[in-house]
Amino acid sequence: MIEVRNLTKRYRDLVAIDQVSFDVAPGEILGFLGRNGAGKTTTMRILTGFLPATSGTAKVAGFDVFEQPLEVKRRVGYLPEQPPLYVDMTVYAYLKFVASIKGVPSAKMKSEMERVANLTAIGAVMDRVIANLSKGYRQRVGLAQALLNDPEVLILDEPTVGLDPIQVREFRDLIKSLAGKHTVVLSTHILSEITATCQRVLIIRQGKVVACDDLAGLAKKHQDGTHELSLEEIFVKLAEN
Amino acid sequence: MRNAIAIARKELSIYFTTPTAYAVFCGMTFIAGMMFLAALGYFQRMSMQFLSFQQPQLLDHLNLTDMVVYPLLRNIGVIFLFMTPFLSMRLVADEKRSRTFELLMTSPIRPFEIMLGKYLAALGLMAVAVGLLALFPLIVSFFGSAGTMMNSGGGSPIEWSTVISGLVGLFLVGAAMMAVGMFVSSLTESVVVSALVTFVILLVVWILNWQAGRLEGTARDVLDYLSMPTHLDAFAKGAPALKDLVYFLSFMILGPFFTERAIEAHRWA
Repeated sequence: MIEVRNLTKRYRDLVAIDQVSFDVAPGEILGFLGRNGAGKTTTMRILTGFLPATSGTAKVAGFDVFEQPLEVKRRVGYLPEQPPLYVDMTVYAYLKFVASIKGVPSAKMKSEMERVANLTAIGAVMDRVIANLSKGYRQRVGLAQALLNDPEVLILDEPTVGLDPIQVREFRDLIKSLAGKHTVVLSTHILSEITATCQRVLIIRQGKVVACDDLAGLAKKHQDGTHELSLEEIFVKLAEN
Repeated sequence: MRNAIAIARKELSIYFTTPTAYAVFCGMTFIAGMMFLAALGYFQRMSMQFLSFQQPQLLDHLNLTDMVVYPLLRNIGVIFLFMTPFLSMRLVADEKRSRTFELLMTSPIRPFEIMLGKYLAALGLMAVAVGLLALFPLIVSFFGSAGTMMNSGGGSPIEWSTVISGLVGLFLVGAAMMAVGMFVSSLTESVVVSALVTFVILLVVWILNWQAGRLEGTARDVLDYLSMPTHLDAFAKGAPALKDLVYFLSFMILGPFFTERAIEAHRWA
């Protein structure tokens, strides 16, 4: 579903990501790990067509993100690190606006908005102005926005920041329910989230891929004698500069 | 087109649910009201003077359109000069600052549609502004009288064709200014910088013909043509030529064109 080949992004002298390659199969949930500044957000921005790569290619559902951006954008739901909210609008007006620019037909508008509001449990705040919402609610409105029009691919940049423990658990269940039908790339710093939801893990360090494997394979590769390392120990080992 | 309209509706709903549009329009009508009263006062004094000359036929040379509405519309151009930067400043800059630009750029819409939606909203705002200003000539037409003693034959106290031409001229001034403002806004993340730079550019365009007096020949004509009041004046007098329309249309085409380029450029860097 997602094919990334030798993706490189330079900001003047700074190399943000360097020759990154990986694949994500349809229906798979990929956990994307790395320390702050390792290049996670940059990679996600390139995948969504927000930033161009310096070199290399990225394809989503067979479409090149740079050559056919509209085809890609139609298939991708994206939650950036900072939820892209118009704080002066109500949740309802905001979701309606996003639904219309994502091409949800007017006849289905209402049911589609209800569907994402139920998935993210924001039905109670639909008429509130976004500026007055708590961080957790804002995060969920951002997630609802990404789910609109039922995209095949979801790219979520630290989606659980600001959620309370119960919401985090609900969010995990939501992600798990998406597996199979949707392809999800999910970045987070909470490792237990990865073990709970993801089938495969991609770890990058200073812009380079250091591991891309399923959880069992990763554990096997990094066996320490008879003792199997936890994801946290593997992460520390791989991601530390 | 559907996407552009969705964006235009979003823009207008933000302008009219926050105090922005109300504050700007209140300020505009208040200042325009002061100018209106001043022009009316002048008209009244002139009428009294002519009456005291015992030459009532002179009064026929006084009329409300030329002495009240025409100077008012010309002066409102100056209010627009101060007002439009505050309306245009957030058009694109605010999207970048609040990171919603990322939403627009990752949604299946073209940069052209983003620009078009924003410019349509800007034109909508200017239409509201001109609609509010049309109240002044309306007031005059209610309370004024058409003829004076010599020919109190009736008819409208206002020459509507001239006034409407003037209002259209004001709308075009606003549309041209918003086009400049939108382009400047697409170059920065800061609304303050956006408003300030827009204001400086518009002010320069406004006072270009101040230099024209010192010059002769072609240079003088060019400066005259390039400055905005020349063309607003033609509309306010009720006799716009094609070149006046072309002048405003070139802003209204170039501004959005460069804005679209500036938005598209984000996909490349």
